[in-house]
Formats: sequence, C-alpha cells, structure tokens
Amino acid sequence: MLAVYKRELRAYFTSPMGYIFLAIWLALANLFFYMYCVMSQTSDLSGTFANLLFISSFIIPMLTMRTFSEEKKQKTEQLLLTSPVSLTGIVVGKYLSCLTVFVVALLGTFTWPLIVTMYGHPALYTIVGNYAALFFGVAAFMAIGVFLSCMTESQIVAAISSFATYMGLYLIGTLASAIDNPVVRAIMNFISLFSRYSNFALGLFALDDIVYYISITVIFLFLTTRVIEKKRWA
Amino acid sequence: MIEVKNLTKLYGNKRAVNDLSFTINSGEVVGFLGPNGAGKSTTMNIITGYLSSTSGSVSVCGIDVLDDPMAAKRHIGYLPEIPPVYPDMTVAEYLDFVYELKGVKGTSKKKHLGEICEIVGISHVRDRVIKNLSKGYRQRTGLAMALVGNPDVLILDEPTVGLDPIQIIEIRNVIKELGRQRTVVLSTHILSEVEAICERVLVINNGSIVANDSPENLSADVSGEHKFVVRVAGPQDAVQAIIRASEGIRMAEFLGEHEKNSCDFVVESDPAVDVRKPLFYSLAKAGYPILMLKPMDMSLEDIFVKLTHSETVKKGAK
Repeated sequence: MLAVYKRELRAYFTSPMGYIFLAIWLALANLFFYMYCVMSQTSDLSGTFANLLFISSFIIPMLTMRTFSEEKKQKTEQLLLTSPVSLTGIVVGKYLSCLTVFVVALLGTFTWPLIVTMYGHPALYTIVGNYAALFFGVAAFMAIGVFLSCMTESQIVAAISSFATYMGLYLIGTLASAIDNPVVRAIMNFISLFSRYSNFALGLFALDDIVYYISITVIFLFLTTRVIEKKRWA
Repeated sequence: MIEVKNLTKLYGNKRAVNDLSFTINSGEVVGFLGPNGAGKSTTMNIITGYLSSTSGSVSVCGIDVLDDPMAAKRHIGYLPEIPPVYPDMTVAEYLDFVYELKGVKGTSKKKHLGEICEIVGISHVRDRVIKNLSKGYRQRTGLAMALVGNPDVLILDEPTVGLDPIQIIEIRNVIKELGRQRTVVLSTHILSEVEAICERVLVINNGSIVANDSPENLSADVSGEHKFVVRVAGPQDAVQAIIRASEGIRMAEFLGEHEKNSCDFVVESDPAVDVRKPLFYSLAKAGYPILMLKPMDMSLEDIFVKLTHSETVKKGAK
C-alpha cells in the first residue's frame, strides 16, 4: 500500500496535475474568503466554508479521474494486480494519495484562521468543525470519483461522470426543500451529500454527519475493490 | 513447479482455454506456442493471478493461486505482453517502485537493482524517462521488473515482440541465461524462438494443448520418417541406380539439377539403419562424389501447420 501511495503522490507532483489542482482550488477558495470574510468584515469563516464543498466538487475529478483509468489504459494495472499486494491496499493507497493532495490544499488555507484571529474573536471550535466537515465531505466525494475511475479506461469519461454525479447530488439537495412529502424529502436529503454539509456551515458539529461521510467513503472504496475483482472473473 | 489441472476459461460463450492440463518442472524453459488468440496470454494471466479461471486449478511452487494468491505471486515474475511501465517515471524510479511494491526483503536494494540492470543491459539508461525509451528498452525494463525480487518462476508473454533482429537475439540470450537458475515459461508465435530457447514446447491451439514435447522430438515425431536430400556429382541414371542398391534405402527420387553436372535426390531410408556410410562408400567407389547430404527434418513451421491443421480438420469432421 505504501509503495502505491508514494508512487501516486509523486505522480501528482511530477506532472502538472497536482499543481494545477492546488492553484485552481486555492485561487477559488481565497476568492471566497475575500468575498465572504474580508469584504463583509466578519470573523466568521462559516460563510466561506459553506461554498467550499461545492467548488471543490468541480475540481476533485482532476485528481480522481486518473486513479484507475490511467492504469488500465497503460496496462500497468497488470503489474499491480500480479504483485503480492492486496487489492484493498492498492485502492486505499491510490485514494489516500488523492486525499493527501487535498490536505496540502487545505494547509494553504491556514492563513485564514490566523487573519481572522488577528482582527477579531472568531469561534475557534466552529472553524475546527468547518475544516473537519470539508475534509470528510471531500473525502466522500473522492471515494465516489475513484469508484467511477475504476469503471472506465478513459480519464475524460471518469471526470465527466464524476462531475455529473456531484452535480446530481447537489440538485437533489436543492430540490429537496421544494418537496412537500416529508419522507421523500428526508430520503433526498440523505442521498445528497451536500445537505449535511450546510449544518456545519451553520456552526453545528454533529458526529453522526461525520460518520455518514466516512461511511460513504468506505462503501465506495469497497465497491471499487469489488468492481476490479469482478473484472477478473468476467 | 507449475501445475495446471483441467483449466477452463470462458469469455461469455467463447472458450478461451479449454480443459488445459500440464506440469512444468523446476528449472525448465518451456515455450507456449500457438497462433494469435490460441489462449496463451489467457493461460499466463490465470497462472499469475491477473485473471481467474472458470474452472480448474493452478498451483505454483505447491501453492494454489486461488487459496493463497499473495504467497503464489511472490514466486512469480510476470512480464505481460505490453510491458507495464509508467511512462512518466525514470527507469530507476520505476524499479525502486517495483522493489517496494513487491516488498522484497533480505537484499540490499541498490545491489539487487544494480545486478538486474546489468543482466538485462539497461544500466546506461537508468536515469532516462521511460516514455523517451525505444520499444526494445521498454521491453528490457519490463523484463527487469519481472526479475525484481528474484522470483523462482518467470512468465514472459511474447518477450521479443516488436524488437529489431539484433535486440531479439540479445533478449533471447538474456532469457537463456536466466533459464539456467529459474523456471521460465514464455509464449510466442514465432517458431524459431522456441527452437532457440526452449527445452520443451506446448503447442496450444483453440485453448487446448495439441502437442507437448521437446522441439527435436516434435520434429522427428511428426515427420515420422527418415529422409535425406543428397547431391551427387555424376549422371542421373547411374547415380540413382547406385543409391537404390545401397543398404537400407527404400526409395530415391530425382529432384533435378541444381548445380552443374550434379543431380539431387530425395532418399528415404529405413529408420533402423544408418545409411550414410554405405551410401558414401558405394558412391565413392563408383567415382561419384557426394557434394551434399542433409537430413530433411520438418521445421517447426511445418509441424505447427500440420498439428493445428489436423486439429481443425478433426473438428470439421465432427
């Protein structure tokens, strides 16, 4: 697992992809920080964070699209799958490398808490909660992206299908509020990975929401191993 | 070392491998020979654990590949048809990665990888990015990958495809060298390759084994008769009479005059008698020197066509 993780992480930073992702993400995130925090002169970062999961979903496919489709196209998966490494190790190694790139991006935003504490008295626990929520939210989205990447040989197809899925989930979340039937609304809110995120933006930290995101992550990584395993038996 | 029993693989309705059974002993160099789509790669992919079988069992070094795939994989070095190299890495980075991936223990990494690079002849390109290497060097890098961790069994899928003639000879020599300490299985559809490298050949057609023997025995078995071509300086009628009269000769057929004042014959002999000496003395006595005497062994090409053709004819008859 460690070998795969290290190779993948190196691949992000020896190709332009990692840098492009970091540049776009930090540019957009800092733009939102400027608009929601600096311009409105508040020390509350929740408004900024409220938008970050949404903008992240636009560019997460840049990292996840290549995870398995590139291996398939290059036929390098034959090396991985005939080496004495478990399939779970391969999937988790690849997934963690994506997540690590995102953590690097998050580290780039630690200037925000510093800036707001210099000029005000922000609620620190809310900030921690917001970081945690964004981290686990993105983690779940990435697991879906990795899963879709293992379904196809084409990185473009992987990227577009991931993007379409994220947008679909977003739409389900926004449409939910227009539904009268409470059961249907609850189901829609449950499916949409965005609905729970808004709780964090309001400053509500709930452990079950974190558990929810972790569960989604685990389920999709598990499905990824199943899909790859199934190809062997086809 | 490798034991395959009743292996079958279905792709949908297509039988890629059909009830295949064979054993490969430790230290053997065995060639899988067959036309494209015969099931060679599929068989190799199943042995290495990349694909699963529909039924049947495979064990490597006594370990069933389904029961304990991790342990079995540790014994195998596999070079697939397309070398699984990452184009953006340098050769050294790639081999480092493979070393870690295979979890090699007990040897110093630098020494181990250095030796491998020396064996396959890529020491001078270690710092080059793989995408800039020629096909031949990528193939060698792939071979180096298979050697990492010093596996007991090497499985090479068409190791010389796409190489130029000089590279083919070099790679063959490398494989021969490797076969001294290891079990090597290689697949090819080039017959001369099998003749050059392998001690034993498994001819596969339509997913079944049609022959399993050494290249020499195969050519003797299938031809089933002893024939020579002999060229003698002298008149046709006289020479033919002498040949026919010689001990152990069953038949002599005139082929034509390929060299001035000489004639060629196909001579069929009794397999129990070595006819060469009596033939030489009787012709020499008559004053007709032999210019050439060569056994008419069937080449593997002929055997291959004969084996695979008879197979299809049998199928057609059903």
